[in-house]
Amino acid sequence: MRMAMHVFRYRLRCLLRDTDTLFWTMAFPILLATMFYVGFGNLMGGDASFEPVKVAVVNSPAYQRNVYLKQMLAVLSTPGADQLLDLTVTDETEAQRLLDEGGVTGIITVGDVDDTADPIASSIRLTVTQSGLGQSILKAILDDYLHASATVSSVLSQNPAAIAELIDRLGNRESYTQQISYSDAMPDTAVGYFYALVAMACLYTGFWGMRNTIDLQADLSDQGARRSVAPTHKLAVVLCDWAAAFLIGFGEVLVLLAYLAFGLKIDFGDQVGYVLLTCLAGCIAGVSFGTLLGTLFRKSEGAKVAALVGATNVLSFLAGLMYVNMKHIVARNVPVLSYINPVALTSDAFYSLYVFDNHHRFFLNIGLLCVISAVMCFASYLQLRREKYASL
Amino acid sequence: MLIRVNNLVKRYGNLLALDHFNLEVREGEILGLLGPNGSGKTTTINCILALLKYDKGTVEVFGRPMTPDAYESKRNIGVVTQNVAVFQELSVEENVDYFCGMYVEDAKARRVLVQEAIEFVGLTEFRKFRPKKLSGGLLRRLNIACGIAHKPKLIILDEPTVAVDPQSRNSILEGIRDLNRNGATVVYTSHYMEEVEQLCSRIVIMDKGKTLVSGTKEELKAMINRGETITVELYALQPDDLTHIRQLPHVAQAEYEGNRLTIRYDNGQHNLLTLLDYLKSRGLSFERVYSERPTLNDVFLEITGRQLRD
Repeated sequence: MRMAMHVFRYRLRCLLRDTDTLFWTMAFPILLATMFYVGFGNLMGGDASFEPVKVAVVNSPAYQRNVYLKQMLAVLSTPGADQLLDLTVTDETEAQRLLDEGGVTGIITVGDVDDTADPIASSIRLTVTQSGLGQSILKAILDDYLHASATVSSVLSQNPAAIAELIDRLGNRESYTQQISYSDAMPDTAVGYFYALVAMACLYTGFWGMRNTIDLQADLSDQGARRSVAPTHKLAVVLCDWAAAFLIGFGEVLVLLAYLAFGLKIDFGDQVGYVLLTCLAGCIAGVSFGTLLGTLFRKSEGAKVAALVGATNVLSFLAGLMYVNMKHIVARNVPVLSYINPVALTSDAFYSLYVFDNHHRFFLNIGLLCVISAVMCFASYLQLRREKYASL
Repeated sequence: MLIRVNNLVKRYGNLLALDHFNLEVREGEILGLLGPNGSGKTTTINCILALLKYDKGTVEVFGRPMTPDAYESKRNIGVVTQNVAVFQELSVEENVDYFCGMYVEDAKARRVLVQEAIEFVGLTEFRKFRPKKLSGGLLRRLNIACGIAHKPKLIILDEPTVAVDPQSRNSILEGIRDLNRNGATVVYTSHYMEEVEQLCSRIVIMDKGKTLVSGTKEELKAMINRGETITVELYALQPDDLTHIRQLPHVAQAEYEGNRLTIRYDNGQHNLLTLLDYLKSRGLSFERVYSERPTLNDVFLEITGRQLRD
């Protein structure tokens, strides 16, 4: 036991002083989280603010005569939480200048009704110079207005008695689809990326597991050769190294989690214990994964590290780190992959905590992570226990 | 017998690294394992330490078969590897303590052993240094301290003085002699003949995975067909005299060039006296005379050949 503590203590010291691996396993996920946060900007956390669309209206006699349009635009540009437009009523030259300089998104011009087949449509013109969200909003508003105007005109000419009912209906839009939620939570797409990031950070603890195997194998390092000729039981050394790697990896993930929760205010719900359990299981899987890869992949240290980086990135991609819907695509087309991918299982454990009111799916994920880790650890030990090498 | 290697065969693909190799190491001796590059010295060491798989043969250490989990035997072995095998993240003291701790559980006893090992290799003032701050010679000394701190009965040193300055080398050799005097059996591989000559009580010369010869340095020197070389500085040696000298007993070769007469003998005794008698009888005056015995280097080259190796 004393020898095990000795090996563990020194392993901890060695790994903590390995600044290169510390950077990749701790600083890199934190940097990535910061980049995600900056990249997603105000889309996160449900506090997205909407900037009213700036629009110029050409002040013409026809515009002044079109009372309904004036009234609608005035309502839509009334300051407040629901303000949709930021209206500037000006002459045609000034409106054009504003549009050219980017001061407005579009120009609304009202012309006199002529004799064309669609007199209403031809009377209102929207001028934009590019496409985008603001332009689409303006077009949708005017389309809606024109559609309503046409309906009113039509009803007036064909069934004037129904106009009261029509006006009533126009004021009460009805939705024919209903949004339901599995829980009280408000699902946020951006948060899914952070789950996958934490899951990736858990798998990055595999770097520590891999470093352990390099320092343990005589054909990969001189230290490995020296440790291999020592009389310490191989299982004890493997376990002590593993425990040190896990402790450091778990600590790093906790730091990342704290940064996300307190620094970037990412909402992980109020189930702290379960969140920590997820990280714990994720890190166990991560270190075991690195250990297994380091043991089975009989190549140089550089090739091993490259394989781990590649595998981690592929698994993270399949878990939705780069494209959040990938997780669903994999679950639909290759479901077995979702059950053996530690990143997918970890991120899904977070997701299920956040979305579902019960813990069935959460514990399924945690259970699968534990089983996978046990299999990986056992396979690694079988490889390492009585190892003699073909060449050194 | 501390080590018994019997009929060991090791192949790297098509290359036969050890060809039915045999070796015995007796308790208390310093055995020098000599051989050119690629002769199989390090492969032999790694097979003895159960690091390498081998195709055929047996290895016994302390009378027991050597396997990766022969922990009892391993406890009494100290290994100084060819490459420096220490952790860059640990200081000198921590490295020695770490490796010593893999052999010695008792922390108190270990503390004493670590201090002794650090003093032994002369690294006391560098104990807090990390390896990257140490010079090549100091690193080698640290490597030795890590291998011997637990006071093993059998120490295997695989070219421990490569790239070490003469002062450090001298100190290392002196240290190894001390370890041997204190009861350790030593297996020492090296390219440096003079090291082996001054250190080892028995020498095995191997090449192409086989033992070529073994014995004490005197026995090895006696094996080669060469005796001493006598050099005489004299003036005006006549061709007749040179012819007579070539006919003296045991003279293998005699040359006279630049007032220097060099005579090589194929063994024989009292060669110098016979030569001096001849010079006196001929009334030839000379300035300096010196005699050189064959070195281990001569033995090595004669046995392994003078061809360049990789």
